[in-house]
Amino acid sequence: MVAVHSRQITNKHRFIGFVLIGLVVYILSNIVDEWRAYQGATVAVFVVAIASIILLTGYSGQISLGHGALLAVGAYTAALTQIYFGAPIWICFAAAVLATALFGAILGAAAARLSGPYLAGTTLALAVGLPSIANQFSILGGEQGISFDAGWPPLSFGESFTQYKWFLWIATLAALISMWWVQNILRSRYGRSWLAVKSNEVAAEIAGINLGRTKVLAFTVSAGIAGLAGALLAMTMNNVSPSAFPLALSFFIATGAVLAGVNTLGGVIIGSVALVAIPLIASSISDRWSGSESLATVLPDFIVSALLILTVFLAPKGPIEKLRSRHSK
Amino acid sequence: MFEFVNTLLIGITAGSIYSLMAIAIVLVWRSTRVVNFAAGGIALASTFVGATILETTGSFWIALPVAMLAGAALSAFIEYFFLRPLLHRSGERTQEIFLPIIATLGILGVMKALLHFIYGEKIGVISPPLSDKGFIVSGESIALSPLRLMILGIVLVLMIGLTLIFQRTNLGLSLRAASFAPEISRLSGIRVDLIRTLGWAISGAAGATAGILQTVNGSGSVTPEAFEFSLLLVFGFVAAVIGGIESLIGAVIGGLTLGIILAIILMYVGGSLVFFSAFLILILVLLLRPHGIIGVKGGRRA
Repeated sequence: MVAVHSRQITNKHRFIGFVLIGLVVYILSNIVDEWRAYQGATVAVFVVAIASIILLTGYSGQISLGHGALLAVGAYTAALTQIYFGAPIWICFAAAVLATALFGAILGAAAARLSGPYLAGTTLALAVGLPSIANQFSILGGEQGISFDAGWPPLSFGESFTQYKWFLWIATLAALISMWWVQNILRSRYGRSWLAVKSNEVAAEIAGINLGRTKVLAFTVSAGIAGLAGALLAMTMNNVSPSAFPLALSFFIATGAVLAGVNTLGGVIIGSVALVAIPLIASSISDRWSGSESLATVLPDFIVSALLILTVFLAPKGPIEKLRSRHSK
Repeated sequence: MFEFVNTLLIGITAGSIYSLMAIAIVLVWRSTRVVNFAAGGIALASTFVGATILETTGSFWIALPVAMLAGAALSAFIEYFFLRPLLHRSGERTQEIFLPIIATLGILGVMKALLHFIYGEKIGVISPPLSDKGFIVSGESIALSPLRLMILGIVLVLMIGLTLIFQRTNLGLSLRAASFAPEISRLSGIRVDLIRTLGWAISGAAGATAGILQTVNGSGSVTPEAFEFSLLLVFGFVAAVIGGIESLIGAVIGGLTLGIILAIILMYVGGSLVFFSAFLILILVLLLRPHGIIGVKGGRRA
């Protein structure tokens, strides 16, 4: 990592950037209405989820088609912690991160032996299988699920402080903290060894990197972040149920990661805004041009899928890298 | 005992359909190293074609081959216009499998949306050509019906056909050579690109058959969002991975194993654990044999 340019971006600059983003969200949260605040919170949730995929796939080279299952583990842990220990939500979030990281470590120990289609198949089967066991154990609440209540905002914020604004704050803070942490770990020796393993396993092993341990660590960290995303998602929905974590959710997050550019963390906001914005754009298009109901139901899926194909063809490394490479030419 | 035999029969029928889907996925993996999620969309689309033909002609035995042809054409189309440019650009020996997966996922999504748009709330009906009433053995009806026999028969005929193609014909030899060593095959005069497209086409036909049989074996009707088809795709893929994703025999073993064990769990343990046990079976097999039941460590790199 030799600095070629004279203007090197240091961690201090990045920290200022993060604070600025936080400030912008703070100001926006006071302007926008309830519905926009909810969307903002959803964007923040997807930022965390996509960052988790990018860390795993883009940096350590392991494929996961089952991140929805990891989100489910986080969400259920958070809800159970609240119900059985009456813990404040911060503790619930922490428990979600820890439990999902532990789950990820176990899964990663199996996954580290697998590669390519085997890993893709395993994670896919997990995404289909895990949420459905909620129906087997009554403690998990079956199809109705269990509630997760993030509570009303503290009274000291004033009477007009709305529920979704509070969710937006929490989700944004969590997203900023986890992104800060992720971008730091990617620059640490762990991040570098993930990249080394991804680009050439044999060379990395010769250079003294323990392949198994490195891969399991990547899975653990990624799962922990996914657990946080799951707990945040449960917060915005007030409830945790198996139907909230279908296979489509796993694909949806992977889609976001591709739209964001799976090899760079920088595009994560693009991916998550796209995931939230596309359904809205699609519904406004179908409202304007035709009242046909079938168009309205299929257009979001169609646009997302078409964008996915276009991204794979036109900007396989993601929009950010695309711009960067054009810039440097 | 009686119940157990019935469960086995149900499992074998379901498993043979998973095997067909697994074969569709294996064929594509062998020819182009792509995990083909579009196979689910191809199966779905050709089942709709089959339903339309069945509606106009009234004959299952015309609808099935037409659907297979439609599946083959669609699959070849997808390979030619989407995957071939993508793979050519990213270089032949790329280890990246994430982008092709995402591309086929995107194609799956587009196909589902298009089908939804075309058919809307209409459902495609494929009524079973034979009775699904079980044969009577010593006064009791068993789970083996003329319909199930027909399903097993079709799957068996297709598998024998595929084996003959792969083992006895020049085409089969080219198919195997092109996936084993594309450069050398090219030098010895095999049109590798054409062969790959053919591999996709055969896969499409297998997927179409799986789709039709899944519909006949299940509710008899199909919608663009049919859960049965997501299941077919996921279980087909899981079966292919269990079998080692390289081998046709492996795909059949994987499909039957999955079908039988899932039927037993559904019968004796409970419906809500079926999906999770599919994951458990997969991970148990892969922990014992990381490259599947038939797969070889290191494998061939095509």
